[in-house]
Amino acid sequence: MIQFINTTLIGITAGSIYALMAIALVLVWRSTRVINFAQARMALLSTYFGYEAMVRTNSFWIALLVAMLGGGLFAAIIELVFMRFLLKRSASGPIASVAPIIATLGLYGVIRAVTASIWGGQELQIVAPVSNVGYSIGTETLVFSPLKLLILISVGVLVLLLSLLFQKTNIGLALRASAFSPEIASLSGIKVDLVRTLGWSLAGAVGAMAGMFQTVDGTGTFSPDSIGFTLLFVSGFIAAVIGGLESLVGAVIGGLLLGLVISFVLMYISSSLFFIAPFLVLLLVLFIRPQGIIGVKAARRA
Amino acid sequence: MKAMNRRKLISVSAVLAVASLAATAVPAQAAEVGVTSSEIKLGMTLPMTGSASLGYNKIPGAAKAYFDYLNANGGVNGRKITLIVKDDRYVPTEAVAKTNELILKDKVMALLAPLGTANVKAVASSVNPAKRGVPVLFVNTGFSGFADAKKYPTHYSILPSYQMEAKIMGKYIAENLAGKKIGLLYQDDDFGSDALAGFKTAGTTFAVKVPYASGSQSAATAAGWITKFKAAEVDVVILFGVTSASLYMLATAAALKYAPQWMIDSVGGDSTTLKLAGVPAGVLYNAIGFSPVPATTDLTDEYIKLFSEIYAKAVPGSAFDLNVLLGMNSAFMTAQALKAAGPNPTRKSLMAVLNTNGASLFNSALSPVGYSGTSHVGLTGEWVGKYSPTGDLLPIGGTYTTYITDSGAGAVVKSTYKRPAMPAKGLPN
Amino acid sequence: MHKLRSIHHFGLFVVFGFILFLASNRVDELRVYQGASVAVFVIAIASLILLTGYSGQVSVGQGALMALGAYGAAVVRNELHVPILLSFFVAVLVAAVGGALLGAAAARLSGPYLAGTTLALAIGIPPLANQFSILGGEQGLAFDVGNPPARLGEDFTQYKWFFWIAALAALISMWLLSNILRSRYGRNWRAGRSNEVAAQLSGINTGRSKILAFTLSAGIAGLAGALLSMTIGTVSPSAFTYNLSLMLLAGAFVSGVSTLSGVMIGAVVLVGIPEIADVVANRIGSSENISTNLPGFLNYALLILTVLFVPNGPVEQHHARQARKAAMKKIKSLPKPSMEGNT
Repeated sequence: MIQFINTTLIGITAGSIYALMAIALVLVWRSTRVINFAQARMALLSTYFGYEAMVRTNSFWIALLVAMLGGGLFAAIIELVFMRFLLKRSASGPIASVAPIIATLGLYGVIRAVTASIWGGQELQIVAPVSNVGYSIGTETLVFSPLKLLILISVGVLVLLLSLLFQKTNIGLALRASAFSPEIASLSGIKVDLVRTLGWSLAGAVGAMAGMFQTVDGTGTFSPDSIGFTLLFVSGFIAAVIGGLESLVGAVIGGLLLGLVISFVLMYISSSLFFIAPFLVLLLVLFIRPQGIIGVKAARRA
Repeated sequence: MKAMNRRKLISVSAVLAVASLAATAVPAQAAEVGVTSSEIKLGMTLPMTGSASLGYNKIPGAAKAYFDYLNANGGVNGRKITLIVKDDRYVPTEAVAKTNELILKDKVMALLAPLGTANVKAVASSVNPAKRGVPVLFVNTGFSGFADAKKYPTHYSILPSYQMEAKIMGKYIAENLAGKKIGLLYQDDDFGSDALAGFKTAGTTFAVKVPYASGSQSAATAAGWITKFKAAEVDVVILFGVTSASLYMLATAAALKYAPQWMIDSVGGDSTTLKLAGVPAGVLYNAIGFSPVPATTDLTDEYIKLFSEIYAKAVPGSAFDLNVLLGMNSAFMTAQALKAAGPNPTRKSLMAVLNTNGASLFNSALSPVGYSGTSHVGLTGEWVGKYSPTGDLLPIGGTYTTYITDSGAGAVVKSTYKRPAMPAKGLPN
Repeated sequence: MHKLRSIHHFGLFVVFGFILFLASNRVDELRVYQGASVAVFVIAIASLILLTGYSGQVSVGQGALMALGAYGAAVVRNELHVPILLSFFVAVLVAAVGGALLGAAAARLSGPYLAGTTLALAIGIPPLANQFSILGGEQGLAFDVGNPPARLGEDFTQYKWFFWIAALAALISMWLLSNILRSRYGRNWRAGRSNEVAAQLSGINTGRSKILAFTLSAGIAGLAGALLSMTIGTVSPSAFTYNLSLMLLAGAFVSGVSTLSGVMIGAVVLVGIPEIADVVANRIGSSENISTNLPGFLNYALLILTVLFVPNGPVEQHHARQARKAAMKKIKSLPKPSMEGNT
């Protein structure tokens, strides 16, 4: 019984971090129709910003804020300077679908090389704000700690804030409109370009949070080649696709689903299926619903 | 016309291809490849970047630190040793491509400490150092196959194989932990199956065996491992994986207040690396560990003292850990072998030294190397230690008791080897 | 007219092949080996050009398909001791079957959904080798194509033999592929890519067409995988990381993903850039941090520059420039419009 509970808890907490990365990817997709292969690397860079802040202020919360602001700013710059130029040059033809992937791939490698050049290859540490020691129930210790609770709450608050932003504010309306139909949106006075930058910026901030939380939830250390960040993008991407790429709720559901499935497969079937399990989940979901769990079927254009 | 343009393009590509290929002239042969009157060139391929590079990317700096020290003190018979290092990112195709560059373009005399079983195998198969007569010194893997001098005539192992280590662990368990329930964490590939083979020979039985897929190590998967060990109620947990596996296991165990008797393998048990990566010293305290070379913090050992000093000067601010020690140790042995190869060393004379006199090479390890004409087995033993309250691995009882064995069915015995004193100033004499 | 054209192209390929044969005899071994690698990448990139450029299906998982082919060839050769040619056929077959299955599963997917699925495949397939001992695990399986035949002489190195096999395979498959791409199938793919609804309306079964593209592309990739294993003498999961899939996509892009003509450019870039980057890094010779990471930086920076400045691929760009020049010439040579008659 305790094993079942722990497996569920493991899945949910891992899944919540996948969900953060998935949210970042969905934000970028919705605002610019691009899959950002560099999202996890940008999260890595943001984590370095957070580390620098941590070293100077010794406060995790300030470090998190700095990471998110830095990540958001960096993402905005990338969108303004790089992606816009790129999309203008490759808007049509067979390369239209491939060019953004290649561009963000290039970005992925360049960001990695630059961060490793500046900070070197060694492990750096970020100390968690609360303890990661599991809660006890009698003699059993749960795989759930104040830190993991904090992560879950933060993800929940973030999703809530973002949903409010999208549903209840003018900016949110503008974001949704530009994603749905850029021409009509700009005709009705929305500065589509600004909105796109905003989308990337939000994604950069969310990714930063994912990077910081993943680091403290693990061993508290990270480096340019940490296994965690490599897995983070893939898991986030798969979670986003499972969820349908169109809604934040979908991203969260996708993340949690992926986390839970992997956790249960590893615990009860075989830990060697770790790498093939996401593929099977993806295939299964897309077979039943090719647009993902909360996807929207592409509107027929006449 | 499109067809015209296509034809033009293909012919242009063809001409360009031929031109670029032909542009590389074949240079004249030197006296011995990689050896001039003032320099000996060696080559190394290993992961410097990428997820498999953690810790290993310190090895080139370590080896170069020793070589620079040596060069400043006259080199080997008046020649400086130059080490050319190339990053293979742990991918066999890149290992082959980079090794080709080292042998065919940079024209190194020998290869030093290549890393990773799959990579070394690919290089052996494709580049074929054996056919070219290129020595491959001190292969950096625990795979026992490279000790087979018939199959790999120019390869020389150094590390004790995974089977050896598992057998030594099994012996320790039989003598000191009889009757306890044992759990094993292992990597679900050849690394792990070699370990399982060794444990089988040693007769160790496990209450539970938990495999992990290489690359899947994380806090979440570690929590899963721990749940399984808890369910089997084991007293002892053996960690027989890479550093990141021990890392996540120990950190997560601390969070889950899980504290069995830990037993950590040498590959994944370097205390400096673990502590720097976030494992609290308190978690390591009293864990059982193994190592073929003296403890990296044992400054009473003359090799550790000298190597630490050299490294601290060469790479200030970088911690002296097991990878650094092994890197400098291999560099040290290489220098001696080159010196013993004579005033005009050749690839053949270098290998002759190892085949006939390899056992006499000084090195910091506490078990003898087993090089001979028929076997290229490196180190054959490890000592058993416990981690101190500050998380450093120290020999049990204060003195190094080394156990030696082979990769096959041979028994595990206490070693009577007395390590000879280090040559003066750590230079080959 | 068609038959003449394909013979004409066949002639070209024969000539090209002869030039390569001559070249390999006068060139040092390193370049010969790199030539073999280039040939392998030519085939692998071509498979992507078919799948992504012609059929419009973005795949980030060609590496997995290459792995299928490589393992198929190795297992069949090691267990059944079949001749090398047969093992390459098996490679194509095994990968093609995998591709057909994947294509059927992915036929309804497009864009990012397809990319996500193929990425998951790229990551999930290679580690499966650890599960079945017949696949050799992490250490890998040996894949030995044997020594060059004795009658080619003592001096005929192993690498030259690899180069001949790989180059021949590349020439044959490029010739076959270019003919297929110019056929009705190629036109169907392009039609389906530009506008699926219109294609369906004009009678093309786009679902079947897509699956065919996947199957064929996978078979070609499988051949490339087997050849890659030949050049390194082993098959192991670490040779087929998802990084390889990403690099192939990049190589296809640099070649110009919509046309086969530039395929050598991408292949040469993939093989040559890491070496050039190493040389540059050594020349600059600065701190260890920088020199370790400089090759990676240069690799990816080149990718970005290509995307920004040559997005359609050098061949298309060249054609476009020619077309513009021709158009400008025509416009300039037109008689000046008369000023009268504007009612």
